[in-house]
Amino acid sequence: MCGIIGYIGEKRAGPILLDCLTRLEYRGYDSCGIAVKTDGSLEIYKDAVRVRELSRQVPLSEGTIGVGHTRWATHGAPSKTNAHPHCDCSGKIAVVHNGVITNYQPLRERLAREGHNLVSQTDTEVIPHLIEKYYNGDLEKAVAKALGDIEGSYAIIVIAAGEARLIAARRDSPLIIGLGDRENFIASDVPAVLDYANRVVYLEEGDLAVVTADSVRVKEGGRPVKREENKILWTVADAQKAGYEHFMLKEIHEQPRVIRDTFAEYVPGAEANGNSIAGDSLEDLLLLSCGTSYHAALVGKYIIEELTGSPVRAELASEFNYAGRVSMRNRAIVISQSGETADTLKAMKKLKDEGCQVTAITNVVGSTASRLADRVIYTRAGPEISVAATKSFTAQLIALYRLALPYARVDLRRMEKLTVGLRQLPGKVQQVLDNKAAIIECAVRLAAYENVFYISRGINYPIALEGALKMKEISYIHAEGYAAGELKHGPFALLGADRPVVAIAPRDGTYDAMVTSIKEVKARQSPLLALVEEGDEVISELADMVIPLPVVEPLFSPVINSVALQLLAYYAASKRGCPIDFPRNLAKSVTVE
Amino acid sequence: MKQAVILAAGEGQRLRPFTVNRPKAMLSLADKPILQYVIEALAGNGIRNIVLVVGYRKEQVYDYFGSGEKLGVELTYVTQQNQLGTAHALAQAKGATDDEFLVLAGDNLIETGTIAGFASVKPGAVLVKKVANPLRYGVVILDGKRVRAIIEKPREAGSNVVNTGIYAFSREIFDFTASVLDIPDAINNMIAAGHTINAVETEGPWLDAIYPWDILSLNDAVLQKVQGSSGGVIEAGVSLTGTVAIGKGTVIKSHSYIAGPVVIGEGCTIGPHACILPATSIGDNVVIAPFTEIENSVIGNDVNIGPGGLIQDSVIDQGCVIKGHFNACSDHNPNLANGEARETSIGVILGEGCRLGNNVVAQPGVIVGNYCQVQAFKLISGTLPDRSLVF
Repeated sequence: MCGIIGYIGEKRAGPILLDCLTRLEYRGYDSCGIAVKTDGSLEIYKDAVRVRELSRQVPLSEGTIGVGHTRWATHGAPSKTNAHPHCDCSGKIAVVHNGVITNYQPLRERLAREGHNLVSQTDTEVIPHLIEKYYNGDLEKAVAKALGDIEGSYAIIVIAAGEARLIAARRDSPLIIGLGDRENFIASDVPAVLDYANRVVYLEEGDLAVVTADSVRVKEGGRPVKREENKILWTVADAQKAGYEHFMLKEIHEQPRVIRDTFAEYVPGAEANGNSIAGDSLEDLLLLSCGTSYHAALVGKYIIEELTGSPVRAELASEFNYAGRVSMRNRAIVISQSGETADTLKAMKKLKDEGCQVTAITNVVGSTASRLADRVIYTRAGPEISVAATKSFTAQLIALYRLALPYARVDLRRMEKLTVGLRQLPGKVQQVLDNKAAIIECAVRLAAYENVFYISRGINYPIALEGALKMKEISYIHAEGYAAGELKHGPFALLGADRPVVAIAPRDGTYDAMVTSIKEVKARQSPLLALVEEGDEVISELADMVIPLPVVEPLFSPVINSVALQLLAYYAASKRGCPIDFPRNLAKSVTVE
Repeated sequence: MKQAVILAAGEGQRLRPFTVNRPKAMLSLADKPILQYVIEALAGNGIRNIVLVVGYRKEQVYDYFGSGEKLGVELTYVTQQNQLGTAHALAQAKGATDDEFLVLAGDNLIETGTIAGFASVKPGAVLVKKVANPLRYGVVILDGKRVRAIIEKPREAGSNVVNTGIYAFSREIFDFTASVLDIPDAINNMIAAGHTINAVETEGPWLDAIYPWDILSLNDAVLQKVQGSSGGVIEAGVSLTGTVAIGKGTVIKSHSYIAGPVVIGEGCTIGPHACILPATSIGDNVVIAPFTEIENSVIGNDVNIGPGGLIQDSVIDQGCVIKGHFNACSDHNPNLANGEARETSIGVILGEGCRLGNNVVAQPGVIVGNYCQVQAFKLISGTLPDRSLVF
């Protein structure tokens, strides 16, 4: 999914385009660009950066006509060359496009034979060259002819150096025209232009529109048609967040679907040819990553060790870069949502230099990590806007389960339990979401404290770390995750009535030890919030607050517990009035060391 | 008419167990919620500005439809905190509506043709339909084209013309929604106050699911119009006849037999040697083990059905795990439900997240609540409440 925007009017186009593009970033943000017409030429600025960074690079141009694009890569990696707008050979015609051209390969070859110079790996670039080919003074005709050659889906906006108008067209991708006073806008969706225009024309399938500063003409199949004007009464945030108050809550609720999508991505390949993902064994495996992805790696260590019996190392990429050692036999998996995390990329290069086989688990198709890696496993979480990672973490866990299961050395009955259990996960997560009332109640109580400890043991220890990370990053409550057995080596000194403890205690092999830890905590007067399985009586008796969660195979409990802790952090932050999607001092993708 | 308000806040008590965890409008037919058919019907008539009134489990609606972009519409969400009635629901949308708009129920199955023509009608109109069993619905008493009154579920019908719950209103309606809970009452008050309400009859389909087993006939209606497709892997020796739609990432294993109309979602594993017979919808991420036969049934997401089972005329909700040799054969079952006889033969109605051991036999017509557990070799019958344990 990409976002496109066009402006034609009397104001300077550059700042308006960039402002609208920031509202389209929820559709994708791996690269962006704008083209502005000035006198007889087009000025194009684009790069594999987010809109905010591009804004700093773009000089203020006088031009009052322009187009812009923000991208989520499907064909060709995110790079300056592959970013839109794309031009013809002369640089006089530029196009922004959202959609997928299915026959771009034969078109590319034909255009190349005809002498066109195509420089990117994108499907989009064939469009400006086709328009150039058909252009002899009438841009509208040339665009209509070019679109006749194209198969697939598109919403496009075309700008030409010699024309005081924009041409827009759509098929199977959305496009709207925002009507202003002596200015008009074209965009992928209404919220992008709502700050400037609240009268909107929705283009229909197959429409081609010619837009000037004071007119909009729409044609369907070459014949003029009338498209009615709609007045928009709602405000910007509504549509992008699809009803939710914050992107984070939207993304938390998307998780059942993300899990199913990730399954659909894997099932045929993994079951028919499972061993090809990471080579023929998972021995001597090294998992490397940063932040939330590091917590996924720690869970991965427990998963793979339990299923295969082979020891696994999980390390922080930022530390490994200075002190880590690998053996020649090492295989490595790096995990990065964005695929652009600087520390992780540096670690990848070091691993490659040492001769390691590197598999990347990432959410961004064509990201740097995916290009550096020998093999890539894509998580299908879709664009994640909230700085606090939620659905991408869950998708990483699912990827690790799928990765490890084909190598499992377990008997058939257990294998059957595991495969059935994995398929039940989306529904179990939905149950957590549907019954969030108990979590909200606990979150409201936690919001009153300034320090919280999170404890667990075994495979949920990393979830204690992750739960604490979510809490501190969005609610600004000082939260620390601890292995429950380590509490007595120091933190006991801090426990007391004003320091609540969140205990994650499913009924797995660690249960009895968790009961002991919880009693120790209670003895020091800390308020105790316990995440337990439905029907648990022992810990529910001991705890001050209880969040009962659906029962799953112990191996899959991290997914259930982390979703519950995401909601806990979200509602605590909400109670404290924090800017949840964009916490202070934090960036989504950390591209500096 | 350029705008529509869809009422999708309701829970649908009589459709339990399926509506315990989802709004009625999100009941799935051929792998799509009923609400999607309503939105597609509006888009098919050029109405793309849609206000959705949501309430019960509203997040599921948000998550599925988002901004409406995938369906080519612009959605605005309005929340009805307590589901007090349709007029109350409509009143919540007051701030988001234009001068005139259509009002539809999100949980009645319609098609583009159902509302063709009605989209351009003068406000102050009710879409009506002639049905065989009017006693289940609101009967419309007519005086020529004019509506004299709407009578909810009358003892005696007096007319077989019923209210489809689809209306064309101007903002005047909001003068009448405050004092009543349901739209028919508001209309009766409008008529009493001297307003003219016209009836427009539709020939197009309009189906309402009132009881859980109604899902089967709605599913059947939808499957008749489904387009065949395959996004999955079809292994050697599979036989596909009739219209079959198979989602991305699904594997149909060797020697399975599928006779359409059948819809199978994404990421499923079917067979080997599974037999899927007509009028069956299967959700995403479902496993059907070898030698299981499924006929005229609706299977939800994440369901796992073991080998050697027989499932006829059944609705199985998401996340159920059913072990081998499950028997849910169908038969005519004259049990009364809410005082009304079931007209169709049914197998089993199974709520979400149930776990059934090996060789469980379900008596025709059994209704099993959500999250029930049944031990191997048990015979189940009657109605089992949520979280029942059969040991």
